[in-house]
Amino acid sequence: MRRIGIIPSGLLYRMMTSPVVLEARGLRKEFGALRAVNDVTLEIRAQTFHSIIGPNGAGKTTLFNLLSGTLEPTSGQVLFNGQDITHAPVHRRAHLGLGRSYQITNIFPNLTVLENVRLAVQALGSDNFKFWSANAKFARYTERARQVLEQVGLSDRSLRLARTLPQGDQRKMELGMILAPAPEILLLDEPTSGMATEQIPELIGLIQTIQRESRKTVVLVEHNMDVVMSVSDTITVMHQGSVLAEGAPAAIAANVQVQDAYLGHSLWHDALQQAQHEQSARGS
Amino acid sequence: MPRANRSAGILRRHGGALGLMIVLALLPFLFGLLEGASPLAVWNNQAGASKFYEGLLIEVFILAVYAISYDLVLGITGLLSFGHAMFFALGAYLTGILLKSFGLPLWATLLAVVGAGVLNALLFSVVLPRVKGITFALVTLGFAAVFNIVIQSHELSDWAGGDVGLQNVPIPTWLSPSDERLRFYFIALVFLFAVYWFYQRFVDSPTGRVCVAIRENEERARVLGYPTFYFKIVALTVASVTAGLAGALHTLYQPIVSPTIAGLGFTVAALLMILIGGIGTLTGALLGAAVYRLVDFFLLRFTGSSSSFLIGLIYIAIVLFVPYGIVGTWRLRNVEWRTVWQERLAQWFGIKESPQDLAPPTTEQPPD
Repeated sequence: MRRIGIIPSGLLYRMMTSPVVLEARGLRKEFGALRAVNDVTLEIRAQTFHSIIGPNGAGKTTLFNLLSGTLEPTSGQVLFNGQDITHAPVHRRAHLGLGRSYQITNIFPNLTVLENVRLAVQALGSDNFKFWSANAKFARYTERARQVLEQVGLSDRSLRLARTLPQGDQRKMELGMILAPAPEILLLDEPTSGMATEQIPELIGLIQTIQRESRKTVVLVEHNMDVVMSVSDTITVMHQGSVLAEGAPAAIAANVQVQDAYLGHSLWHDALQQAQHEQSARGS
Repeated sequence: MPRANRSAGILRRHGGALGLMIVLALLPFLFGLLEGASPLAVWNNQAGASKFYEGLLIEVFILAVYAISYDLVLGITGLLSFGHAMFFALGAYLTGILLKSFGLPLWATLLAVVGAGVLNALLFSVVLPRVKGITFALVTLGFAAVFNIVIQSHELSDWAGGDVGLQNVPIPTWLSPSDERLRFYFIALVFLFAVYWFYQRFVDSPTGRVCVAIRENEERARVLGYPTFYFKIVALTVASVTAGLAGALHTLYQPIVSPTIAGLGFTVAALLMILIGGIGTLTGALLGAAVYRLVDFFLLRFTGSSSSFLIGLIYIAIVLFVPYGIVGTWRLRNVEWRTVWQERLAQWFGIKESPQDLAPPTTEQPPD
């Protein structure tokens, strides 16, 4: 792993002084012979916007699943505020203050938008086993849910069924579901995947606004490098299961290794797409 | 909240159920009038036809409690269990054995049924963290099959009656289904509506909402922070205890407890009932049980041996034309109808849609 030296001093100050919220120590995950994540050590500092990028198959999502608890690592540790949560079950992590999203839209499709978010609020309350009280009694959950829907701009669609929303709005609703219980750290796995290109800046802008205003820590896994360049404080580049580089966006953009691994891949990818496109054009 | 307001709210919410309960309570007297018997004769259990229909409806009520308990497991929580008949049969057999072989008083028997129901649910929960979906269905099917074999076994035939079934269970005279049938009818009716009321409350509570969330997307519910395992135990326990109590009522009512109630066929019966009525709707389970039992009865009466063929046709027609069951399809139509009209109003008068009316309450959505 090589770190990059060129970091703006103010940011360097913030990066060095704010405490580490989430930490991965020598994290490794093997699927049979495949080593998807190879001894990754990572420090996520409080109130920063930390992006993890890398080409397809770099191990981003696996790392993400290790951090969020969906997968258990083969070896290594995950620490949250200094506490070892490597083997903590998923629901415990939510109570500790970790909120996560999925690459694929993962919601309660047949419930209303409001109910989706309300369930997210209720989860961390202490009323889950009160089976003898009407739900309407717990107005504070609904209020909080409405407040969050306002924040993500869905309050006029709160009583629609979640599955009837367009993809972009479902993504926003998911963001609301993560925000609702006010977690300390937001883990977002490609929140823009499946969205129309013109909607992406809006969602990313929304995430950034929320991060700044409510002083959250955001870990964003993203395939598309352009998306995260302008909003991130720190970028970690993954390549073939390992951390290739880490630093401020400007430094990452200037890094030759990253360009080779990433942009080279992307150029190749573009060329492949172009070829496929031409082929299909000729075919028709 | 002022008292008057509150009771008005209760009336609005439960008005339909209360009205139905009153109608059902008056029904025996109506049957009596139709056969020319005075209400007093009905009251004294002297009107033959009325007594007969009371008996039929008692069976419907017991089946309805059984069906609604299965709806909580499958329709609300989304657990595909094929061993639900065991919940019912355990209650039924335990009641019979405790009353007959051990001579326990009725209240102690019912208490034991509740306890056994809890244990039975815990037995089913043992495998919950390990298996889900169709595997859970098979494991629960296995539990029920073992239970079915055990109660028919030769070793237990002194208590459980082998494959003939449990007979000559001593019923307290005040509850005798032959001499005090109207009283039994009222008790079954009140029991049914108490269970229905409890279930409605349960589904509308925070716990019930989590159960619905588990049905919709268990993985998501867990990531939100719900230890879904415990919620599934709660749902199973509630269902098991109510089904067990329905089984107890079954034993008290029927002259013979046949081992068929422990078989897979009886679980499928519950499945049919909630499919007819509308899965995940609770009300549908009651309606489904009534349709199931009454169609069976009247077809057998009027068409004789071809009845099971006709019943099959009716089920096919239901699946084709009311795919979400009677209640489920009705609610869906309602929503669609409202949406269509809102769009029309918007077209004609430029009224913007009010989102308040677009979606029905959460628990009333049929699953996709």
